[in-house]
Amino acid sequence: MASNYVLPENYKDQTPAAPLDKKTLNKVVWRSLQLQACFNYERMQSAGWLWGILPGLEKIHTNKEDLAASMTHNMDFLNTHPYLVTFVMGIVLSLEQNKAPIQTIRSVRISVAAPLGGIGDALFWYTFMPIVAGVTSGLAQDGNILGPILYFVLAFGVQMALRFALMYWAYGMGAAAINSLTKNAQEFTHAASMMGIFVVGALIYNMGTGTQLGMVFTNGDLTTDVQAQLNTILPGIIPLALTLMCYYLLAKKGWKPINCILLLLVIGIVGCIFGIWSGSYTALVSVPWHA
Amino acid sequence: MEIVQVVLLAVATFIFAIDQFSLTEVLYRPIIACTIIGAILGDLQAGLTVGGSVEIIAIGNMPVGGAQPPNFVIFSIASCVLVIVSGMEPEAAMGVSMVFALFGQYVVTLVFTVMSALMDKADEAAHNANPKGITAVLNAHMAVLGALFAVIAVACYYGGEALSGTLNSISTQFSWLMGGLSVAGGMLRFVGFGILMKIMLSNDMWGILLAGFACAAIFGASSVASATLIYVAFIGVAIALYDYNSSVKLKNTNVGGGMSDGI
Repeated sequence: MASNYVLPENYKDQTPAAPLDKKTLNKVVWRSLQLQACFNYERMQSAGWLWGILPGLEKIHTNKEDLAASMTHNMDFLNTHPYLVTFVMGIVLSLEQNKAPIQTIRSVRISVAAPLGGIGDALFWYTFMPIVAGVTSGLAQDGNILGPILYFVLAFGVQMALRFALMYWAYGMGAAAINSLTKNAQEFTHAASMMGIFVVGALIYNMGTGTQLGMVFTNGDLTTDVQAQLNTILPGIIPLALTLMCYYLLAKKGWKPINCILLLLVIGIVGCIFGIWSGSYTALVSVPWHA
Repeated sequence: MEIVQVVLLAVATFIFAIDQFSLTEVLYRPIIACTIIGAILGDLQAGLTVGGSVEIIAIGNMPVGGAQPPNFVIFSIASCVLVIVSGMEPEAAMGVSMVFALFGQYVVTLVFTVMSALMDKADEAAHNANPKGITAVLNAHMAVLGALFAVIAVACYYGGEALSGTLNSISTQFSWLMGGLSVAGGMLRFVGFGILMKIMLSNDMWGILLAGFACAAIFGASSVASATLIYVAFIGVAIALYDYNSSVKLKNTNVGGGMSDGI
């Protein structure tokens, strides 16, 4: 049964695979464009990520059990910047090729991917794209067909150049680093896991605080905003509590992710029926605490 | 002639809908999409000028950090259709298009929430080492997203401005459901975090998890908030290097400085 799948700690075949050839790496770069082709709120880019590096994984893991293990842990939650993703891919592929402990690969992946998301947003969405748009939209408004053409050439050209350069840089760097680390693999895995779990802790706050209560009680002149009260005690307590709940259900109660999704859907929708969550909606049941 | 236009409009919208998250991630930009829609509807010049204006509005609404701004694929298409087919003034057309764009945003939220269920199929394919299963999951997601957008585009072509009133009232009437879906959408990432913790979190690491949480909270409330995750990574590297170096040193002392790897 699929739900009973147990992920091993290490790959069965511990012999490092042959380095990936240029053709495979290039294929992965082109496939990396589909990073968000299966974007969803639970694991964001994970399926697109896995699809992107699959040609590499299939070359590296020639026995079916190892390929299953690799595919399974590459379905982890992932959110990074699409233009920079090949940097993460290069590092992960070099770790896979050297048959690093599975725990190490997971930790390194989330630790490298998460900060790149922020860097990419600042670099591209806030800086590069507005400049390109500023230059070309004037041309378009004047009815010049060069506007959209120039936009495509600049935006797509820069993006692809980056994707190729980062892939080869990261893949080379990962392969060079791994040699000095295999000697102390166990220690490295522990250290990498610490880094990974530290970043996950940060993500819970950084990406979670959008989930807020929307209840405001008015009693004469006195208004009490429940979320503001919570924030004076522990900001981010709701995302922390919900994450711990999911962890408990998944790790201790043996729930499948899909059950957690359904539970959260119910919590979200029922909460909005009664105006408990914040947001610009009208509660189905008229309640005094939600406008 | 009209049927050809509608079919081309649907096909182009299908592609732009997918392109806004994958493929080239450039074709869907208003400046390009409007030009292409303009050409399909028989007025390339109108498409160009509308595209230039919509692009400037869109640039202030970039999709940052997984948040969903008004949908600019729908905004672009509705603007072009309303200007070229319905003959509205560009300014007025863009106002009405915003209603369509907000509806498009609901559709995206709905797809991103419901498609979380696909992850179960993807996991199953992974457990069975079945790459084709992953391809199928991606294709299913793209087909649903593209088809829903194509339907909105065709509805806009035939319904025009009148349809925006209907969409508006649907949006108001079912706002509790849409609100609930987007609240739930924002929560689903906690399942992803839970999966990561399930494997990575050994008992000695609870403190590290909370330390990361605290760091993000502190940076998030500071003037360097936009660089939170980068600074978190710096501290994380320091912790990891310290842990690595001290445990390697300890191991080497224990085995008398020998080269045995002791695993």
